Amino acid sequence: MASDLHLLVGGAQGSGLETTMQVLAPAYASLGYGVMANREYFSNIVGRHSYIHMRISSSGEPKALQYPVDFIGAMDAESVFTHYDDIREGGFLLYDMGTARTRLVQIASMEPDLRNRLLENFKKLGIQPPTVESVVSYLEKDVGVNVIGLSFTALFEVLIKKHGLTRAQAQRFRSSILIGAIAGLSGLDREALELGLEKRFGSRPKVLEINKDFVASVADEIEREYGTPLKLAEPKAPYSEYVVASGNDAVAMGKIVGGVRYQAYYPITPASDESVLLEAYEGLKIDGESLGSIAILQTEDEIAAISSVIGAALTGARSSTATSGPGFSLMVEALGWAGKNDVPIVVTYYQRGGPSTGLPTRGSQSDLLFTLFASHGEFPRMILSSGDHLEAFYDAIEAYNLAEKYQMPVIHLLDKFLANMVASMPIPDLEGVRIERGETIFEAPRGPFKRFPRDKPIAPRPVLGSGAITWYTGDEHDEYGHIDEDPVNRNIMYERRWKKMEIADKEIPEEFRAKYYGPEDAKVLLVGWGSVKIPALEAIEVLGEEGVRAAYLHVRMLSPLPKRLISDVLSRFDPENVIAVEANYLGQASKLITMETGFLFKKFVLKWTGRPIYLNELVEGVLDIVKNGRSRVVLSYGK
Amino acid sequence: MASRGVASYRTEVWSDWCPGCGDFGILAAMQKAFAELNLDPATTVVVSGIGCSSKTPHFLNVNGVHTLHGRGIAFATGIKLANPNLTVVINGGDGDLLGIGVAHFVALGRRNLDVTVIIHNNQVYGLTKGQASPTLRKGEQVKSLPVPNLQDAVNPIALAIASGYTFVARAYSLWVDHLKEILKAAISHKGSAVIDVLQPCITYNDIYTAEFYKDRLYKLEDDPEWDPVVRDPGEEEEKKATALKKAEEWGTRIPVGVFYVNPLKDTYEDRLAKRNPAYSRENPPAFQSIYSEGSSLVGPEEFRKLFDRFIVKVSRR
Repeated sequence: MASDLHLLVGGAQGSGLETTMQVLAPAYASLGYGVMANREYFSNIVGRHSYIHMRISSSGEPKALQYPVDFIGAMDAESVFTHYDDIREGGFLLYDMGTARTRLVQIASMEPDLRNRLLENFKKLGIQPPTVESVVSYLEKDVGVNVIGLSFTALFEVLIKKHGLTRAQAQRFRSSILIGAIAGLSGLDREALELGLEKRFGSRPKVLEINKDFVASVADEIEREYGTPLKLAEPKAPYSEYVVASGNDAVAMGKIVGGVRYQAYYPITPASDESVLLEAYEGLKIDGESLGSIAILQTEDEIAAISSVIGAALTGARSSTATSGPGFSLMVEALGWAGKNDVPIVVTYYQRGGPSTGLPTRGSQSDLLFTLFASHGEFPRMILSSGDHLEAFYDAIEAYNLAEKYQMPVIHLLDKFLANMVASMPIPDLEGVRIERGETIFEAPRGPFKRFPRDKPIAPRPVLGSGAITWYTGDEHDEYGHIDEDPVNRNIMYERRWKKMEIADKEIPEEFRAKYYGPEDAKVLLVGWGSVKIPALEAIEVLGEEGVRAAYLHVRMLSPLPKRLISDVLSRFDPENVIAVEANYLGQASKLITMETGFLFKKFVLKWTGRPIYLNELVEGVLDIVKNGRSRVVLSYGK
Repeated sequence: MASRGVASYRTEVWSDWCPGCGDFGILAAMQKAFAELNLDPATTVVVSGIGCSSKTPHFLNVNGVHTLHGRGIAFATGIKLANPNLTVVINGGDGDLLGIGVAHFVALGRRNLDVTVIIHNNQVYGLTKGQASPTLRKGEQVKSLPVPNLQDAVNPIALAIASGYTFVARAYSLWVDHLKEILKAAISHKGSAVIDVLQPCITYNDIYTAEFYKDRLYKLEDDPEWDPVVRDPGEEEEKKATALKKAEEWGTRIPVGVFYVNPLKDTYEDRLAKRNPAYSRENPPAFQSIYSEGSSLVGPEEFRKLFDRFIVKVSRR
């Protein structure tokens, strides 16, 4: 029995693909399996090719995604063509026999680039003319894939007859066929399957009932016919419970625990889901009682979002916005105002592929240097970047703490990969969560107040409405916050702002800001940040099995950068064996480390296709460097 | 609480406007209005954008937030929503509020947030030496312009009414007491209030001078028939239409006074409280307790209850 199950389910956007993830993730988690699922989709609501890529792991932990997969469920012809080479020998392909005659050239929704590439590939492989039938036959005969052809139409007929549905209604159960097939082939416990369905359809009893019946019948039939060849090993679950959530969800939960009281946003992919979830929690209701209220405002633009967040922060509310690159581009002027005025705001920034509109629904790590230098002039800001869902949860809380303790903007830098990936994470340790509000004061002596005393970089911060009278300005200011262009004052205030960063750098433990994973005597070091952590942690294990003793240095805080710890780790490695792993072109974190430590990176594994860095290609990339002496490997796996 | 004198609303910061600037009149009217309303300086916040007029907060002994060009309304929105107990007055120029910040100007009307906006309207960008602002009319060439202006003017009164403001007025910076009365009404009004204050820019605007306004301005309230207040929801359309027609009047006679008032529309704060009863003036988000003894109010038990739908229990089978 396999320890892990790798799945891919493809179909047209809007055809219920997400349902497969929403049902299967909790179902497997309820048995103690670790689940990780990514959703790849176009900037489109209906019709373009979309897919869910999942890994179910008996380790109990959500593990890195990789190719090839064990199972592909193709809801349509486009999925068969698109993913024909993503499946392993001996894997299973399920497709709709009704699409057998469909020719590749008929797929209007496919981008011409991919179609032309596939036409070329199929020509080389002798698949002529490329139809679903011919591709499937090639996979079966030449690759050794087990093909399961089902007539979706016949299955829908059953639904129509048994449950009195219309044809259109029956077709909405398309994803249930795939769920059933996966459950059957993997011998998924039927109670767990029902739990998954209940999580997804619990509020709609009729749909739930039909689904339970339909999914179970498909599962039973598949199991009868094919057995359970994809049965997983028993899970080694170290957890008794999981939180099954996307990165957007994890951050929203963190913000609620962290005490968010104001959030403003302008709709943007892949950030808005977080704000929309917060809206659902605006009353913070538990058993009819309210813990407080979150004021959430959908603004006219991102400039208004961050500006109003600054305003709210001045009143003492824990305030944040969530956005992506184009939105943050609009926010940078106001970011400087917050930096100038010691205002604790949090910007949750989900990176997507740029520049400009770029790849609006795909991920990247290409905005680190932008966030570090955004806005004119020089002022300190903190940058936290989370490596996985649990870190994202804790960092969402810590971002508020740091903002208030050090009185400066904090950018919580995430990416689309984490935003949309659903993972099973353990219940966070809430006993360990601290809320620290620094020098925030809600009751101050009445009258004019020196908000910016020259001798105190981190000064008492009476909020608006506290009794004190305070002034704030984007101009250089005096101790009271009034405009002051005097050169002596300028020097003092300028240094005062940067002094906060020095203090933060001294106080925030470097062990929190960066972490070394792997054997102490490792010869190869991967250096990464953000969601690179997920494949990197597993890559060092796989590399170890391949005879390459590797470690991973994860940088969680990019500003202030933990330069002593990083320098110390880097000094233990031959620079030829230090590899920056990043989802961007420049190796931005490596540039930052060079800037702060003087260490020059010579080796890079980079990717900027907008698709996540997969475990398989990362391992190959590192081996290419270590064994073949390559200095820069550019990854591109994924559709 | 004992009433506060006008002087108590002044700071010692020197007002560095050009001698004779219309901003002095607006500042004086604000100080008087604040004194007469006996506003608590600690719960009053004057927010501004960028430009000559946006320096106003530094001259007022109440909380002052001098923000970015065009963004005063956006900052003020967060301040007011997080703590609806604060009295919020926004100051900005015509370029600030109707040019770079016009998206926020329109959005505020849609929300009817309970704040007051003062437009210091002098038809030019003063602090950058007199370029044409959005309220300078097409074909006009003030002395700082090398060529005539080719862009049509926006009508602040009409725009405010179309955007949904529920208190819309015009005043004149040299008629300080008249402006003061309108300001008091605007601040007391529940909802978004805007006052378009005509003010001469003595340095760059040689068209709209005090001389120009002297014979043209008249007060709407001098007409005993003039009644801008919506007293029944059914009157809204008609009152708006009348106000919009009046807003078009600009020539030999220019009206000042209150154009439109609708006290019947709910404020954004009210709408929010209606949807989410936990949102209230008694317990504003800004002052809510979020932790006790260092721990979040959302402890292990609360987390489970709040996020139950995300939690999956593991049962080995």
